[in-house]
Amino acid sequence: MAKDQIRIVDTDIHERVQYKDILKYLDEPFKHYITNCNWIQEKHMPYTQPATAGVDRADAILPDGRPAGSDLAFMQKQLLDDVGHEYGILTSALDPSPSSMHGWYEMATALATAYNNWQIEEWLEKDERLYGSVHIAAQDRDAAIKEIERVGSHPKMVQVLLPIDDIMWGDPYYHPIFEAAQKHNLMIGMHHNEPPVYYGKWPRYFIEWHTLIPTAHMKQVTNMIFNGVFDKFPNLGLMMIEGGFTWVPHIMWKMDQQYRDLRHEVPWLKRKPSDIFKEQIRVTTQPAEELNKKEFMSLIDQMGTDEILCFSTDYPHWDYDSPTRALPNLDFELKKKIFSENAKAFYPKLPNS
Amino acid sequence: MKEQVVCKTTDLEPGQMMASYFGEKNVLICRTLDGEYYAFLNQCTHQGARLEKGIICGATTEQSKPGDYHYCRKGEIIRCPWHGREFDITNEGRMLANPKQKLANFQVRVENEEVIVYK
Repeated sequence: MAKDQIRIVDTDIHERVQYKDILKYLDEPFKHYITNCNWIQEKHMPYTQPATAGVDRADAILPDGRPAGSDLAFMQKQLLDDVGHEYGILTSALDPSPSSMHGWYEMATALATAYNNWQIEEWLEKDERLYGSVHIAAQDRDAAIKEIERVGSHPKMVQVLLPIDDIMWGDPYYHPIFEAAQKHNLMIGMHHNEPPVYYGKWPRYFIEWHTLIPTAHMKQVTNMIFNGVFDKFPNLGLMMIEGGFTWVPHIMWKMDQQYRDLRHEVPWLKRKPSDIFKEQIRVTTQPAEELNKKEFMSLIDQMGTDEILCFSTDYPHWDYDSPTRALPNLDFELKKKIFSENAKAFYPKLPNS
Repeated sequence: MKEQVVCKTTDLEPGQMMASYFGEKNVLICRTLDGEYYAFLNQCTHQGARLEKGIICGATTEQSKPGDYHYCRKGEIIRCPWHGREFDITNEGRMLANPKQKLANFQVRVENEEVIVYK
């Protein structure tokens, strides 16, 4: 890997907030519910994360015991300076996302606002390499649009983040959110939280769940395409984050085949699904399956373009991908695309120097 | 033959590991619960994480049946700090899920309360 020659654009970095850090950005009475009532967001996963340090890289936990990703200086030292990032896109760990809350949307909306303010003040304005994601509580669509209007024009916000859980975002109810994003040159980033991948339930084992996360990505892509989001919003792009990429050729072929037979049901599609994918959807690489160069190049060939994949580390999480070790040794021109140029071409607000 | 003191015997309690240097190589010194010392290249075979940031633990073994966990080998397994891959300290650093892969290992002896790595 010519890391001296390619300064990477990392499309998935998780900064982490602790409740005590976000309180000063949170309005009352929502602050009261946390400080006086000890409210915490609900989690759904029934497993202990079976890696070494929970969801995190064990060596990313701070020396003073604070959680991985919660300190900018430590992240700079361990990731941004060490690897030599040109840019990093923050995708957070407000866990689960406000858009994943199954009720109390007022609290979710307040949390999203507080989180955006914290992210801008504590991260985006303190490191010129870092770019951010607008958090919204999409269940309250109109409040979500107000939040996009409020912070979407910030020069370092590059996308609106939606979780992959149990809401299918292509539903026309959510289209005004995409309209607001497009208006501000924001892309949509989708990142899984805790999608119940077994027919709305949980499998017995974490390894089953984690293996099948890409199926949740496939569902969202299929849903967004056939619900006409990309035809309705031609300048909108979707970044599918942290589902790996080996699933891409399969869903392209499957959607194209179905489109040839069943187009009459979705007549608003003016392009075949794989063309929509190539033009408006990008996919981050992590967690990368271990492929040799021949296998990797075969997948690129099957995708029909080398402009879909965008490198990501997922720092500081346990399944982090090393920029020098996760992908096979590719030709320099392709490396430049995957490690930098594809992401720069995708995000309109990312400097394309 | 190249050899080098990498630590004192008292630097490691049974069940602990630490990083040291053997020449320019970063090495992982492990001490199992029976007091023996082992040395490996301190780099996961997968993506190169430094293993001393992981843990020494036991393992759920191949004797386990579906739904019935069998756990033993305490203090004999290194788990990578990133993806959690398991390496068998007492079996040449072989990876549990794929024993064809192993950590590069070094010979170790103890003299005068010093741990010496040699090749």
